[in-house]
Amino acid sequence: MAEANDTNLAQFKAGILDNNPVLVQLLGMCPTLAVSNSVENALVMGAAVIFVLTMSNLIISLLRNLIKPHVRILIFTLTIAAFVTIADLALKAYVFEVSKKLGPFVPLIIVNCIIICRAEVVASKRNVWRSLADAWGCGLGFTMALCILAVIREMLGAGGITILRDLGWVWHLDAKTFEPHAWVVMIMPPGAFLTLGLVIGVVNHLRAHGARKRGG
Amino acid sequence: MNKFVNESWLVLTLGVVFAALLAGAQTSLSARIVVNRTRALNEAVAQVVPDTQKIEALAVAGYDRDVFRCLDADGKLAGWAIDAVGMGFADKIRLVVGLSPDTTRIVGLKVIENVETPGLGNKISEDDWAGQYRNLDAGRPVVVHKRPPTAGANEVQAVTGATISSKAVTTIVNEALARVRPALQQQQ
Repeated sequence: MAEANDTNLAQFKAGILDNNPVLVQLLGMCPTLAVSNSVENALVMGAAVIFVLTMSNLIISLLRNLIKPHVRILIFTLTIAAFVTIADLALKAYVFEVSKKLGPFVPLIIVNCIIICRAEVVASKRNVWRSLADAWGCGLGFTMALCILAVIREMLGAGGITILRDLGWVWHLDAKTFEPHAWVVMIMPPGAFLTLGLVIGVVNHLRAHGARKRGG
Repeated sequence: MNKFVNESWLVLTLGVVFAALLAGAQTSLSARIVVNRTRALNEAVAQVVPDTQKIEALAVAGYDRDVFRCLDADGKLAGWAIDAVGMGFADKIRLVVGLSPDTTRIVGLKVIENVETPGLGNKISEDDWAGQYRNLDAGRPVVVHKRPPTAGANEVQAVTGATISSKAVTTIVNEALARVRPALQQQQ
């Protein structure tokens, strides 16, 4: 995976756009498909992943000179599992309803390829600041991709977007005339695949177009 | 031995450190989590038995889930609430069913946990559908039909396109009532 990013800022931006973990690297597809059925789920999942990615990259970058190559996967997984468990407990304590809706997908962050990939490619080789920039870039990129999908799916599938019901604050965006005709399929698995495929197609088209303009 | 320690000291140390970290997180957050779980249940009970001001848990022999005695503002019996769980179409469905003080009528039903199909089976969690159970006879099984219910026949109408979810709820309710009602009748 050849990633030539000269500065920390470039690393951060790459995680959001050129090297978006979901839309370009095509990693972490399973939670993407499952959790993008509502914007609230997407945001909470994104927050959990950003937390785990940040802590994981931080710890592994700090320990990078001590980790022996043949136990590195073990150490990565140990670190990730610890922080995912903490994140899961925090979600259950502070946003209980959303945590129930996310179900098994929060513990499954442990096996999310994005996190262990960034640990292997960046955190175990670069310094703390580069690793943090990468964590925030990829985390934000993941959240953004999930939200793009969630806005499309929830708007078409439920006729409106509702977030933060749990914290006693409702932000409700209604497509009132659309609601009776909502495409329920959009909030179910087939809708997930359709939306993801179309969004990746658009992204690829934009990237190819951009490359042609740059003479690439 | 030296070689073993050399290779693995970091893994072992990290293991201990993370275990301590997790223990700390668990201790500090578990109280809130328990509060969240009971709050969800209590809200459902208050919704299912009207006029409930205070609830008392009671143990029913042979039934390992929660049963509540619901008291109104004057401390008089307002009804009973039974927490029940069963298999739905997708996964487990958890609900609370309310009974009148004399246990003869169902006074309310609320599905509190389900992962049924959104837009279809999910409709069992809506108050409109669950409201069908109000005033049904708790002494005989409730029956689900696809057509509108016949008056006096203890029937409810299934959610269109979600017969399995609807039947699951009815089965859970019937089983819970069969197992708990005899004990409640003895309480009076």
